Amino acid sequence: MKRTNRIVLCFMITIALLFILFFTAVNTGGLKVGAGQLFKGLFIEYDKMVAAIYDLRLPRIFISMLAGAGIAVSGVLFQAILQNPLADPGIIGISGGAGFFTATAAVLVPSLYLLTPVFAFAGGCTAFLIVYSISWKDGLRPVRIILIGIAVNAVFQGLVEVLNSISGQNVSQVASIVEGNISVKTWSDVKMLAVFIVIGLFGAMLTAERCNLLSLEEKTIQSLGIRVNIVRLYISGIAVLLVCICTAVTGVIGFLGLIVPHIGRLLVGREHRVLIPYTVILGALVYLAADTVGRAAAYPYEIPAAVIMAVAGGPFFIFLLRRSKTV
Amino acid sequence: MKVSELSFAYDSKKILDQISFQIPEGRITAILGSNGSGKSTLFRLMTKNLKPDQGTIYLDEKDISKMKLREFSREVAIVHQQNRAADDMTVEKLVSYGRLPFARKFCGKSQEDQETIKWALGITNLRKHCSTQLGKLSGGQRQRAFIAMALAQNTKVLFLDEPTTFLDIRYQIEILELIRMLNRDYGITIIMVLHDINQAVSYSDEMIGLKDGKIEVQGETKRVITEDVINRLYGVRLKIKEVDGKKFVWNVRHKSM
Repeated sequence: MKRTNRIVLCFMITIALLFILFFTAVNTGGLKVGAGQLFKGLFIEYDKMVAAIYDLRLPRIFISMLAGAGIAVSGVLFQAILQNPLADPGIIGISGGAGFFTATAAVLVPSLYLLTPVFAFAGGCTAFLIVYSISWKDGLRPVRIILIGIAVNAVFQGLVEVLNSISGQNVSQVASIVEGNISVKTWSDVKMLAVFIVIGLFGAMLTAERCNLLSLEEKTIQSLGIRVNIVRLYISGIAVLLVCICTAVTGVIGFLGLIVPHIGRLLVGREHRVLIPYTVILGALVYLAADTVGRAAAYPYEIPAAVIMAVAGGPFFIFLLRRSKTV
Repeated sequence: MKVSELSFAYDSKKILDQISFQIPEGRITAILGSNGSGKSTLFRLMTKNLKPDQGTIYLDEKDISKMKLREFSREVAIVHQQNRAADDMTVEKLVSYGRLPFARKFCGKSQEDQETIKWALGITNLRKHCSTQLGKLSGGQRQRAFIAMALAQNTKVLFLDEPTTFLDIRYQIEILELIRMLNRDYGITIIMVLHDINQAVSYSDEMIGLKDGKIEVQGETKRVITEDVINRLYGVRLKIKEVDGKKFVWNVRHKSM
């Protein structure tokens, strides 16, 4: 099949799957409505069941899709910067830093709940600065960033666990970061997330051509008059923004930023002007699928999406690696 | 290009020690020397990839350490030894990167950019492969694609670091003939690091021989290359024969070796 046709087909199938999953997610649980009833209840006349779904289920569905898109695209950006398939915002410590700062704020100054994104961004930036400054030795070497990131991530994750333990595991924001639980989210979380995600994704699209360029050797890029470390820094800034805001709302979600970009590359290739928009849709689909499965699998109990991602993501990632000729 | 009293050391290990020379314009200059002689470091210093500890490198009377990277890339193109790129990147896309030193923010490619890319693809015989993905090219075609990218920079000076490494003999000749043609037909000054002495003899006009961070020999390749010079540079005794009036270096196996 011609490459362009294949890409168009991938987009169409993924968008169709996202629509199907959206309606499945809306109807997963005690309340069930048809597509017509949902549309009527949302836009034409009041419907008690639709109103309940609107308040209880739709916020988490939209949060799943927005955070899925954001985390997956930040994975694409980090993998482009570091030219390493192991690069993931979770693995290199950014999510850990964001999670720790958010959890600390929730324990020490719970009244500042509305400033959660600011704390998350500060935490992500702190982790980013720690990892990059320790890694700097006559420039940035991707492997060093990943190895130091793994160590920094372990420290932050440990500190979040400490906070969770000393707070008696009863501060919901800390528990939500540890478990990756989005069951109590509201429309105000959706609005906050949407604003930052749209800004971040727009920024990511602007860097697409530079992400393509980063596939060349560092020396080659420099010989074209481009300062590679500056490019790496501003793409990192966008990736950090995306993952921090998502972590503030959803907690730390592993594997998403790792496997979605890989699947995206296998399906639509490495051209970032195509890969980034495709990853937006695929990331939304994968996270929403994980959250929906988590709600349905042990109903009436819930398994957090982060746990589903970890259980399903690991083996799926190994399967992809074994199947691929190029990765 | 002029190099004046250039010194460089990694930590306390001196790699280059007060070397000075001039690269003649419009000629092909080969840099030769054994492993550890300092030729790769010299290449990196001359291509602004390293900063000298002492000394100055001039390009048209300008100190290159004072030139901005972008300004330098408009004057000098470089083909590195290792060339990595995404396998599904097309040849045309790669070559178009050669116009980045001239790119203006939020502007597409100019008519001049498009014409230069077309010229670079044509001269390297890659026009019919412009939509081919790099992963589907042979080693020689791939190397030509990277040379085409450097040519799209449209500079008067081209640096090549061991351009025939990893290539079989057919592609080695193809690349060296292309380099010779670029110099002969377009007057591009070429400076290349080479390992193969016979390639230097056949395809360079001038040579600089390095040993232990100092210049051991410099001059017209055909004139200065002798059995004694090779022995001094590499510490090995090789024979030089004349084949069709051209020098040819070959190894005679001794029983003691």
